Amino acid sequence: MDYDKLFQTIVNAATLGSTYALIALGYTIVYGILKLLNFAHGDVFMVGAYVGFGILTLFGGALDPSISIWLVLILMTIAAMVACAVLGVVIERFAYRPLRSAPRIAPLISALGVSFFLSYSVQLLFGAQQRTYDSFNWDGGKLFEPAITIGSFTISWLRVITIVASIVLMLALWYLVSRTRTGKAMRATSIDLDAAAMMGIDIDKVIRFAFVLAGALAGAAGVLFALRTYLVPSMGFTPGLFAFTAAVIGGIGSIPGAMLGGILLGTVEALTVTYVTEWIGIPVGLSNLVIFSLLIVFLLIRPQGILGRPDIKKV
Amino acid sequence: MKRRALIAAALGTLVAASLAASASADPQAGARSEAAAVSCRGTINIGNLTVLTGPAAFLGQSQQSWAELAAKRVGAQLGLRARVIGFDTTLDPAVALTAAQRLVGNRSVIATIGPATSGGVAATSRTLADARVVHVTPSATAAALTKGGSPTATGFFYRIVADDSVQGTGQAKYAIDRLNADKATVFDAQEPYSVGLANTVERYLERRNVTVQRLSVTNSTSDFSSFVTRIPSDTDVVFTPFQVAANANQIAVLLKEQGKRAVVFGGDGTVDPAFKVPGSYVSNFAPDLASIPGRAAILNAWRRDNPGRTPDVFGPPAYGAVQSILYAVKRACAGKSSVERINVKRKMKSGPIPNWILGGSFRYSSKTNDPLNGGFWLYQVQANGSLKQIGRL
Repeated sequence: MDYDKLFQTIVNAATLGSTYALIALGYTIVYGILKLLNFAHGDVFMVGAYVGFGILTLFGGALDPSISIWLVLILMTIAAMVACAVLGVVIERFAYRPLRSAPRIAPLISALGVSFFLSYSVQLLFGAQQRTYDSFNWDGGKLFEPAITIGSFTISWLRVITIVASIVLMLALWYLVSRTRTGKAMRATSIDLDAAAMMGIDIDKVIRFAFVLAGALAGAAGVLFALRTYLVPSMGFTPGLFAFTAAVIGGIGSIPGAMLGGILLGTVEALTVTYVTEWIGIPVGLSNLVIFSLLIVFLLIRPQGILGRPDIKKV
Repeated sequence: MKRRALIAAALGTLVAASLAASASADPQAGARSEAAAVSCRGTINIGNLTVLTGPAAFLGQSQQSWAELAAKRVGAQLGLRARVIGFDTTLDPAVALTAAQRLVGNRSVIATIGPATSGGVAATSRTLADARVVHVTPSATAAALTKGGSPTATGFFYRIVADDSVQGTGQAKYAIDRLNADKATVFDAQEPYSVGLANTVERYLERRNVTVQRLSVTNSTSDFSSFVTRIPSDTDVVFTPFQVAANANQIAVLLKEQGKRAVVFGGDGTVDPAFKVPGSYVSNFAPDLASIPGRAAILNAWRRDNPGRTPDVFGPPAYGAVQSILYAVKRACAGKSSVERINVKRKMKSGPIPNWILGGSFRYSSKTNDPLNGGFWLYQVQANGSLKQIGRL
């Protein structure tokens, strides 16, 4: 048994899964309240990555930053979260709110339109070429040096930062939703929007806040993801798709479900690429076939997702 | 009931109109577009089917800038007024086909450089050939386009750079002979260029008894961590024939993160500032222009036209492709006032091209429409991210 390979797979799963969870939370928060699938969410994640790139450039770039690169990373993350939170509010105000009473297909199409608008706008502003945070050269390569060593196996600072930051953000969200008045209002609105309004809850404020949270999480995910990959205007599509899948697996509308779904999907993806495709003798390039086949089977057995509630039909 | 009748009538009208339109469509329209003659004293329009947007846009934008320079300089040398019109193919063969159809419909375009990608050539060569449009690629290197039992490109396709049978074999040979590799991983990105090059590399490695692991990804794969985890730690070299350089760079970075010692070889598709892990190798179908004597004037001219940009190795072959077309046009125009697309085709191999951008003079092979003595050059990424030319493969 190659234990190094197994431990690395677990770390890969945790890294991937935490990114998917952060993005999936955005899908599920918005769906829980508005019953709207915000297809532009993957592109909000992409905008977050580019905001991070802008901040990095503002402070001199990876090779010669004017302040500590670690401080730059914190500023990149905060800026991305703020920018994407604002973007979320703007999208809600102009693309979704006017269609609140329209048939459900209308805001869905509007979401797709926003998605295209965001990716092509970024392409217009930044160009189509690949960009990177050049994280390999940060502080002489420190980000990729071992932070934790277990025997011959090491976990780099990059992985530790990604996983810890994701956990902190998820815990902050949990606290906000379960222990604050605003969170209570959000939960009430997600159960019954009309009843919540009749109880005096400012629905517009709750919805705005939901988009703020979703955007902030997506922005942070964008920076953390781009740290280990790269940036192109189309980068939001695949992680967005996987995160949406994770939200559905976890139970769309359920916050713990989105977290669980993200971790689970990251684990399935990592295991499939590293082990399963080899075991069943198919090319690793077909790993998505395995992943989405499992998804279909899972949804046939439990269509509401792991922690989702089955639709109750009132008679 | 009345509403249903109205809807049925509208649909019926639509179907009838479609049938009438297709019945009256002129099957000779495509051929007629190729029969249009262009004045030899007017502007000679050359198309450029290339990747102008998307993750590989660096390639197309470089090719376009060098093609425009060639139209200006070579056109002036030959007494022709030439212009290059870009048609964006992206990396999607379906988009390339649409771009080719637009080009073909533009009767003023006498020939084209590109498509830039092997997938683009495979998708468009028939359409271009049907309209008698010569297409000269400065970068599509898949061997299957011109070689093998049934080449995927047509007789109107020309290539001024060597193909992947040279590149793949050369890289694999270097890895074995110079780096003593006996265990290798070969990636492909499930598209014609990547799969073709990966197959060539794998075949040569296996012939030389190297243990080969083959891994397949896609251009939309964004996190390669799990793929790199599959690579055994005693692997000597990893081949990444991708069109998206950042993907190859990520693999090189992740190998170091996971403590694996394998050296990464990228193909010509990874010759990009985004591929910058020191010690990695890339190969390209053109040498560094600055290393060729007498090219300073052309480099300076390009820099003047493109302030703030740095010349790369992709652009000069596009200059060469325009050279090839303009010499054919010049020869086709000899003693005539106008030229048609088919005339350009007839003159493509009628003589050498002197003062070739990449040194010496250029000739096509008599057997195929590939260059007579094309080659690939190997580069190594330096500590500062620049490329150092190692030599010809």
